[in-house]
Amino acid sequence: KKFLEEKDPSNLTPETYYTIPEHGEAAIAAAYAQTRFIGNGAGIFVANFSMLEMVTGTARTETGQNSDLNNLLGLSFNGENLLVRNWWAGLYNVIAQTNLVIEKVPAINPMDATRKAQILGEARFLRAWAYFYLVRLYGDVPLITTPQTATSPDFYPTRTGTELVYKQITDDLTAAEEAGLPWQDASGRVSKGAVKSLLSKVYLTMAGQPLNKGAAYYKLAADKSLEVMTSSGYGLFPSYADLHSLSQENKGEHIFQIQYLATVSGNPMQQLLLPNFKNVSAYSDEMGSTVPTTKFYQSFEAGDLRAKDREGFFYTSYYTGGNGELKALNAPYIFKHFDVVANGTLGTAGTTQSDLNWPQIRFAEVLLTYAEAQNRADGTPNIAAYEALNKIRRRALIPELSGLSQTAFEEAVWRERWHELCYEGITWFDMVRLRKVYNESTNGFDNFVGHAFAESPSTVLAEKHLLFPLPSVEIKNNPNLRPQNLGY
Amino acid sequence: ARISSSANSHTSFFFQGVTQKIIISGTVLDEKSTPVPGVGIKSLKTNKSTVTDAAGRFSIEVESATEQLSFSYIGYTTQTRAAGSGATPLSIKLVPAEGVNLDDVVVVGYGTRRKSDVTGAVGSVKEEQLKERPAASLNQALSGRISGVQVNSNSGRPGGQTNIRIRGFSSIKTTNNPLYVIDGVILPVGSQTQNSNAIDFLNPGDIASVEVLKDASSVAIYGARGANGVILVTTKKGSATGGKISYDVDFSVPTIGPKRVEMLNAKEFIEVENLAFDNAKIYDPEGFAGGKYVDPRIKRKNLPLLFDSNGNPLYDTDWFKEATQNKLSQNHQLGFTGGNAENTYGLFLNYRDDNGLLKNSYLKRYSGRFTMDSQIKTWMKVGGSLNYTNQTENLVDIGTGGLNSVRMITESFPFLPVKYPNGTWADNQNYPGAEGGSNPVHILTDRKYILQTQNTLGNAYANINLAEGLEFRSVIGANIVTRGRSEYNGRSLYGISFDQKGTATLDNNRETYWSFENYLTYNKRFAKDHAITGLLGLSWQKTNIFGFAVGGENFSTDYLEYNNLSGASKPIPGSSRADRFAFNSYFGRLNYSFKDKYLFTVTGRMDGSSKFGSNNKYAFFPSGAVAWKVSEEDFIKGSPVISNLKLRASYGLTGNSEIASFSSLGVLGTGYAAIFNNTRFGGVGTNRLANPNLKWEKTGQSDIGVELGLFNNRISIEADVYYRKTTDMLLDAPVPLTSGYSFITRNIGSMENRGLEFAINTVNVSTEDFTWNTAFNISMNRNKVLSLATPADIFGVGNPGFTNETGIIRVGEAVGSFWGLTRLGTWSESERTEAAKYNYRGKTILPGDVKYLDVNGDYQINDADRMIIGNGSPKAWGSFSNTFKYKNVDLTVELQYSAGNDVLNMTKHSAEDRVGLANSYSSVLNAWTPQNQNTPIAAIRDTRAGYVTNVDTRWVEDGSFIRGRNLLLGYNFPAAITKKLKLNRLRVYTSVQNFFLATKFSGNDPEVTTYSNAFAQGQTFFDYPKPTTYMVGLNVGL
Repeated sequence: KKFLEEKDPSNLTPETYYTIPEHGEAAIAAAYAQTRFIGNGAGIFVANFSMLEMVTGTARTETGQNSDLNNLLGLSFNGENLLVRNWWAGLYNVIAQTNLVIEKVPAINPMDATRKAQILGEARFLRAWAYFYLVRLYGDVPLITTPQTATSPDFYPTRTGTELVYKQITDDLTAAEEAGLPWQDASGRVSKGAVKSLLSKVYLTMAGQPLNKGAAYYKLAADKSLEVMTSSGYGLFPSYADLHSLSQENKGEHIFQIQYLATVSGNPMQQLLLPNFKNVSAYSDEMGSTVPTTKFYQSFEAGDLRAKDREGFFYTSYYTGGNGELKALNAPYIFKHFDVVANGTLGTAGTTQSDLNWPQIRFAEVLLTYAEAQNRADGTPNIAAYEALNKIRRRALIPELSGLSQTAFEEAVWRERWHELCYEGITWFDMVRLRKVYNESTNGFDNFVGHAFAESPSTVLAEKHLLFPLPSVEIKNNPNLRPQNLGY
Repeated sequence: ARISSSANSHTSFFFQGVTQKIIISGTVLDEKSTPVPGVGIKSLKTNKSTVTDAAGRFSIEVESATEQLSFSYIGYTTQTRAAGSGATPLSIKLVPAEGVNLDDVVVVGYGTRRKSDVTGAVGSVKEEQLKERPAASLNQALSGRISGVQVNSNSGRPGGQTNIRIRGFSSIKTTNNPLYVIDGVILPVGSQTQNSNAIDFLNPGDIASVEVLKDASSVAIYGARGANGVILVTTKKGSATGGKISYDVDFSVPTIGPKRVEMLNAKEFIEVENLAFDNAKIYDPEGFAGGKYVDPRIKRKNLPLLFDSNGNPLYDTDWFKEATQNKLSQNHQLGFTGGNAENTYGLFLNYRDDNGLLKNSYLKRYSGRFTMDSQIKTWMKVGGSLNYTNQTENLVDIGTGGLNSVRMITESFPFLPVKYPNGTWADNQNYPGAEGGSNPVHILTDRKYILQTQNTLGNAYANINLAEGLEFRSVIGANIVTRGRSEYNGRSLYGISFDQKGTATLDNNRETYWSFENYLTYNKRFAKDHAITGLLGLSWQKTNIFGFAVGGENFSTDYLEYNNLSGASKPIPGSSRADRFAFNSYFGRLNYSFKDKYLFTVTGRMDGSSKFGSNNKYAFFPSGAVAWKVSEEDFIKGSPVISNLKLRASYGLTGNSEIASFSSLGVLGTGYAAIFNNTRFGGVGTNRLANPNLKWEKTGQSDIGVELGLFNNRISIEADVYYRKTTDMLLDAPVPLTSGYSFITRNIGSMENRGLEFAINTVNVSTEDFTWNTAFNISMNRNKVLSLATPADIFGVGNPGFTNETGIIRVGEAVGSFWGLTRLGTWSESERTEAAKYNYRGKTILPGDVKYLDVNGDYQINDADRMIIGNGSPKAWGSFSNTFKYKNVDLTVELQYSAGNDVLNMTKHSAEDRVGLANSYSSVLNAWTPQNQNTPIAAIRDTRAGYVTNVDTRWVEDGSFIRGRNLLLGYNFPAAITKKLKLNRLRVYTSVQNFFLATKFSGNDPEVTTYSNAFAQGQTFFDYPKPTTYMVGLNVGL
């Protein structure tokens, strides 16, 4: 009988692992590794991050070969969409891993108490980070907080109300605030600054749609963002180039980033964001998967540095082969995430190896969160709110604002969010939270429902688009999730 | 022979009413006019019989001149002749049997039986047949030989990348490959790479016979591993009649196959690209106005290496021609056999050097085998064999989906030369706006993917005669396979390794397998009418696998290739893996026959496998079969028409256990690396859910068969119908993703296969100088998925992904179904308003765009409009071959056919919907224009201006075909000459393989897949073209 006994020599089992502190470190490391799903591929010429851009009207694609991407862009997606499924699966994978950490790590003894608390804090942050995406994308979602086996009672879970999911998020983040994490962490781990920034973002969202918790939560958001603003260490980079510079990763303006390193896992977005086969990079694959719409690019104020070729967020010309003669592209492409080292620059060949991180929370967003939240909490913008907004505008070399009404100030902040935070997976959630969409032609805001994309007027947002559908396969495999989100 | 003088005298004293005897005498000769001793001669009237003597002579007494005499001998067609007056001696020339000979002994699991006593469905191929079509692998050699066995040679690669299915599919998650047993030693299914199969490393020249066990009764003795059928290989043994030497050699040359796709030539490409630019104005007016598109007419003016000052191309390259070679291949087989009735031995050596149609594509194999059998004591026989094979291949077509060699044959621009005058490679990458990639000759030169496999296969046995009819056999088998992959992709290969500045990978895998089997066989005849054969045995088998891989990127030179990884600036972290699994089994079989007319077989095997859950380690697989030899009944016996009639029926259970080891255990994975401080930090995370109840997949199969021989077996027919149902299917059952897992391996779901097999062999003409034999077979199989783990369709399993899922597994449908949209054509000018109701990726649809079937009428073309659009399995397949012999010349014409199989030709998607990024099929010349609106091909435009492309019905084609598989002309030198040369055999032949192909399919070859996924048959994305091969060969025996 021993002859047929099985023991896997190449893998570990959960029953026998988690005995020494290193196991706790390895467990939380796996959760960080899982966050990279955002850059993982979703079929030919597409990565998951594109889902959040394609539906905003600010982006389009130059490759027609991925119909999931095409369906998102045309707002004709449904629950079969691979990106819709990948986000769901990717986020729940992070949750499963953090649940494992939160359940197993406390039992590791002996272990340094400080480090143990930090690991649990990191896990709670990452779990909250994942649930915050889930609840905004899909609405009511199953709330799983313990590791699963095939016999777990919530293996086939039902959906939990949005309100309760948010409660779990704020509970986790509040706990993580007290986990003894450093204010900043240049290693790429979660810091206290990241926890508070995310919490301010959560409060701002809770204040708006769909929970509509109003002034009290705007106040919470303002207070929390102010804590980050008044802490030392964070601030805007003087130059937009720093946003995508390897030397500025995990510091200054970058509060939390997804970590990439070519020798472990290179930044997979570089080739996707390049113009479609224009030979402006050392990379031989240039896909044009996600590129800006011309209308959005043109909506930046005259003189806005962010729209200046190769100095802000866009480029309309680049060096042949990445390092040769300057070549006009006659269309805008995203410079915000452009890795100069990997792609090349004038006179220096690119390495085609991208270590560049992918941003999740920037100080600029915290400033704008404060400005918006304070204005709503107090009924009128204070000096700090103006300063927060004007810091952003000053850097963009556009006129500072003053003396606006509450609503005019609010719209100004929104407009700034659209222009400052574009292509970072933020705009879509602003659209849903505000039920407003920036109109490039009027420079004002349309209601979400009925808004037509500037560059493809036949693409019109409807009520149902406020939520993504649950992945069809998930609903079929777990009937407890029925009904599907409205309209899908 | 002389005239019997007494015969003369007897006829002269003929009296009416008195039975007079006539003595008939004569000689029996074989096809080489050599006298044959031991031929059975029987009067069909009186049943009087005799045999020929050592000189082939006979004499027999008959009652009348019209009396029929039959002449039968193993391996030859039984002949009937009127006795005649006896005035002249009879000279009978035997004709080798092409069809089934009932006295042939066939190998069954753990034993042998006379063909006539077999109760199950067993197909058999002998060495002589295998020789007709020299092949690099057993699977290729089996193709078309046996009904119910489907062999697809899916690539023109040397070795063929075969895929074999016996009676359809039994499994979704585990293998559908049969179990191979060589000389009684089960080959491990183990880990395979690049669609290779353990059997591919056996030299087909060493094979004496192959038996394919198809029905449950035959395979049940292999229990848990028999669900996909079993292929038994018997290798050549020593000689019992003294020393013999044989030498077989063939030389061959591959040439471009009977069909090839046409690509645009340089001039056509330029016209198409110009139009693509002009049309961007229509399909992206804004981008066009903004100057987004570069006029190719201007672009070309800046490329003086490729175009003259007027923009006319300087070159017009046929890349298919450039990428192929017609290089001589050779195959030498040397055999030494010797011995006597007690001791025999054999030594077999083989050298094969196959050069493929694509440049630098090759397969080289050295193999040696020694075999020995000795009746060491009257009560004991021992023996064994040892086989070593060293095979090296360069797989030049790897990298499906990427810009690999086979893709670039189609997609390289025709206006590029292979190299510029300065000696550097000319690649698509040099043409601004193109997708990039390197030219195929460049890739074939700078990319190496060397698979080196060393296979040691051995067995040793002892047979001990314990008592009358009772024999004990013990066999030890071992198989050690080391498989190395050495891969290097050069620094300049765009889209492959340019960004990495060269990539090298070394992967090494060692698989060690041993088996130890012991069994008792008991043979006994009771009274006169009862015969039994009993078998009882037990077996242990174990496999250990260990492998590791290392790699590096960024080399300063291509010189080192994979030979010195320390030259890499960027090392790739190494990895290693270990795997082990074991079987412990008990088996038994009882054959009983009553009056040699009624046959019964009962088989059972109890199998235990380490791979299964702790709660389900063992399972029992029983089967039973009955057969009735109707032709032995008195009412048929002696019938001039029906010479053989057997009916048989069987039912049994078999299993499939080929899942990955440890599948039942919950494990944590190490595939998670975090990055902290810009350094790697190894993580350990969730990986797999445990399932302690995991057990075997079970297949129940019933089979009814009939074997019929007519006119002394000049016509022989074998037909079977079967029904197979797989239950407790091992599936990666999807679980809610909310658990953090995507599946659990469970026993759930079921699937059925129903089928029909029919084979007929006829001797159409049989005269002394001329014979004509025909063999025809047809097989049909219908597969249906009966239930799955959940109601949800399964995507992404068994099928490759493409721009969309290409295949679906759905309850009620057959596996291998293609999934996609229905293309109705293109929108015409008159439909402009209707077209405008659709948008795709935000863009309004215009005339000239593809028109899809909007299944639910919601004016959105999305996943809701996809449906099953085809299936890669044929409705019927088989072969038809004719052999003609005139004196010493023989001619074999072998046709292979397949009907009703669809091909999902994704190659066409790339070659039709991406004009300008790369070269296209010349079919784009028929694209939509205002003057040519009735076409399925969208208006050509710069790709950035947007093609709509999907997996759709445009790519689904009828892949039915008839192939001229082999045309062989041989000459056997007559005995007079061979004797002079002191040879006993001398044969020369010439053959053309794949000599024609009749099909409606638009690609190179419809028998194709470029994927290893289980249900990807027919799904192709740039395949290795199949050559027409010309061969000459020589067989010498002395």
